[in-house]
Amino acid sequence: MKLWKDFSNGIIKENPTFRLVLGTCPTMAVTTAVFNGLGMGIAVIAVLICSNLIISLINKIVPNEVRIPIYVVVIATFVSAVEMLIKAFSPALDSALGIFIPLIVVNCIILARAESFASKNPPLNSIMDGLGMGVGFTLALVFMSGVRELLGAGTFLNMPIFGAGFEPALILILPPGGFLVYGLAIALFNKLIVKKA
Amino acid sequence: MRDYLKLTGILLIVCIVAAGVLGVTNAVTYEKIIEQAIRENDEARKEVLSEAEEFNKVDENGISDILSKSNYEIVTEVYEGRSQGQTVGYTVKTSPKGYGGTVEIVIGIDMEGKVKGIKVGENSETPGLGKNAATPKFQGQFVGKDWDGGVVLIKNGVPKDNEILSIAGATITSTAVVEGVNTALELVEEITGN
Repeated sequence: MKLWKDFSNGIIKENPTFRLVLGTCPTMAVTTAVFNGLGMGIAVIAVLICSNLIISLINKIVPNEVRIPIYVVVIATFVSAVEMLIKAFSPALDSALGIFIPLIVVNCIILARAESFASKNPPLNSIMDGLGMGVGFTLALVFMSGVRELLGAGTFLNMPIFGAGFEPALILILPPGGFLVYGLAIALFNKLIVKKA
Repeated sequence: MRDYLKLTGILLIVCIVAAGVLGVTNAVTYEKIIEQAIRENDEARKEVLSEAEEFNKVDENGISDILSKSNYEIVTEVYEGRSQGQTVGYTVKTSPKGYGGTVEIVIGIDMEGKVKGIKVGENSETPGLGKNAATPKFQGQFVGKDWDGGVVLIKNGVPKDNEILSIAGATITSTAVVEGVNTALELVEEITGN
């Protein structure tokens, strides 16, 4: 039961994008197309699960005073090693997700979950938290990129949705559109989900 | 004082282990990654100049006079495509500057000076905008352009024979690709002595 709670926590109650407002920079950058949002989300799920697991395992031997630099080194090492391995052994995966992996090294969701969850909880719970947060992030990215691609380019996953007469609102896939959609999505999320205090 | 030593020591150990892990990973993957890059290059050349059966790197010393000109600074590789002992065209790799850094483009040009195909490779352009330069729709526009007319970029309207339509919202990337293709056309025109 506790495990399920750790998992579902990241999807709605503490959705990293709409509630914790973490990882906003990659969110703006990759939500121009649904494929990119999905790719980034999947890459984050994988890294988040593993980094949470590692941090949770080493947390007993890490001195409290220097935990943050150690987390940074561990996560950056892990992500860089994975990037090299994918490049070398799985070119197909590399061409699909390769551009997102360097973005993850600097993704603050990873560090935030390491600090606020994985360092205080047992490995299994940390894995569930990583999975939940990753799925929540992915859903948020897919939602935002869906809106932006549909209205900004008239397509969904590169398939044309509207007829030839549709004039896409290009601004939505440009940076200002990212802020507009992000702001409105947070407002909508708060209106629908957050109960009045 | 002892605390500082202890903490520094632990950090040092963690960093040494991390560096070791990365070093080993690099040693294991380095050659494979280079192999993949070479294979990708080969495939890109075949894609843009399908008539050729084999490709030979053009000796840079032989054309160093031409390559040393400042407008060819963005040219990184020139290959000669051969089929049954005959030169059927050239592939040129250029790296013009786009919006997010350089954009790699491989261009295949036949002996009549016509573009047979282009392939936009590694780049850091904006996903959803500049990255669309690598779509068949954009790349296909360049096929058939020649060194007489060059390639001219237009922002809207119906492109004429020597014109191509810019990617919406990505003028800088489109300009970079056009620059790369035009440079390649000029270079091949000079190499072949036309």
